[in-house]
Amino acid sequence: MSGARRTTYDARGLAEPHAEVPKVSDIDGAAASFDATELTTRQINLELRWLLYELRILDVTVRNPGAKHSIGVGILQRCRIRYEGSLGYFGLGLIDGPEITVTGRVGWSVCENMMSGVVVIEKNAGSLTGAAMRGGDLVVHGSVGARTGIDQKGGTIIVGGDAGTMTAFMMQRGRQIILGDVGPGLGDSMYDGQIYVAGSVKSLGIDCVEGEWTDADTELIERKFRIYGLGTPPAFQKFVCGKMLYNYDNLEPSEKKLVI
Amino acid sequence: MNEPHLSTKIGIDAEELAGRRFPYQEDISLVEDVDLDTLTPGQDLNWLEDVTLLQEDGVAAVFDRYSNSFLKIYFDIPGGREDEIARKVLMKHLIEGNSYGIQLKAKHAKFPQPELGPWVEGSETVGTDWTPPVLEGWERPAGH
Repeated sequence: MSGARRTTYDARGLAEPHAEVPKVSDIDGAAASFDATELTTRQINLELRWLLYELRILDVTVRNPGAKHSIGVGILQRCRIRYEGSLGYFGLGLIDGPEITVTGRVGWSVCENMMSGVVVIEKNAGSLTGAAMRGGDLVVHGSVGARTGIDQKGGTIIVGGDAGTMTAFMMQRGRQIILGDVGPGLGDSMYDGQIYVAGSVKSLGIDCVEGEWTDADTELIERKFRIYGLGTPPAFQKFVCGKMLYNYDNLEPSEKKLVI
Repeated sequence: MNEPHLSTKIGIDAEELAGRRFPYQEDISLVEDVDLDTLTPGQDLNWLEDVTLLQEDGVAAVFDRYSNSFLKIYFDIPGGREDEIARKVLMKHLIEGNSYGIQLKAKHAKFPQPELGPWVEGSETVGTDWTPPVLEGWERPAGH
């Protein structure tokens, strides 16, 4: 076996006994940066919180995050964070307010339960991107895996490339703008929200139907393309919930009788 | 049983949680100067894009996700400005720290965060010294 093994930490993150803030950042006025190569997930998150909440430095660059998992979660502060590298799974979850750039890729469930803010991923993202997201903008310039925006309750997910199977599964609210192709089962069991697809759709999921285009759709697409420098918008198809499964009151009479 | 208690219905009323009604629920002039773009991240309304004017108990209302309750609006809302006014009333409620979810933070936040949320610059940090509550007279069972 040739080559150096670069990852030396416990990738499962089960044991991180060092609960002290490393305080390794280079601080330059209102901005700070630190190299995360030798830090564990816990140390990276402690360093971030120390900078943001104690020193009130609201412009932070994290170099070499090394695809570690659960980085940058629970940041409830207006700030700018730049990750120079890739993140592992469940990165940037539960955030409320930050404006974040990731120059590399991210693993599954990025921005899970995101409340507000802006996250821009410059390359690809794994499955479950924006799971249970509630608000804000999540922009992935590359492609995403399966079940993007599963249980999405708000916010806008923009995908520059393709999206996998069961995209927008059980989506409840919000918007998805996908510039590439989408796999089978788009919008399966969705309750509400809008999905815009510029490429081909392998197949629609249960109760996902083509929607009527309105001026509000044009305004949304043009605004998001302008903000994120995506160029001239292509033609999109819009998909919404058919609402055939919308109410439990729609039970068959025999089923109702059983319930009563 | 004269103690005040919450009414029993599906929706929770922000006034009941806070124990009072707020002036900006009754006077549109108190929310007109709320700058929604400045208060939200990014270059547009961001999370407020999903906030719209709703109805609760037959009254105009906006949903406060930070206390899981409806904040009612009692003044007449000009036509065509329904969602804008709903967003402004909500943001006024949040930045003034009147949301019940915000009021609980000082005592119950388990990790550091701005007390007034991400909308108010320089808001005090709370949650730095949380310790689990201890029930007086309670002892850990043997073997635990």
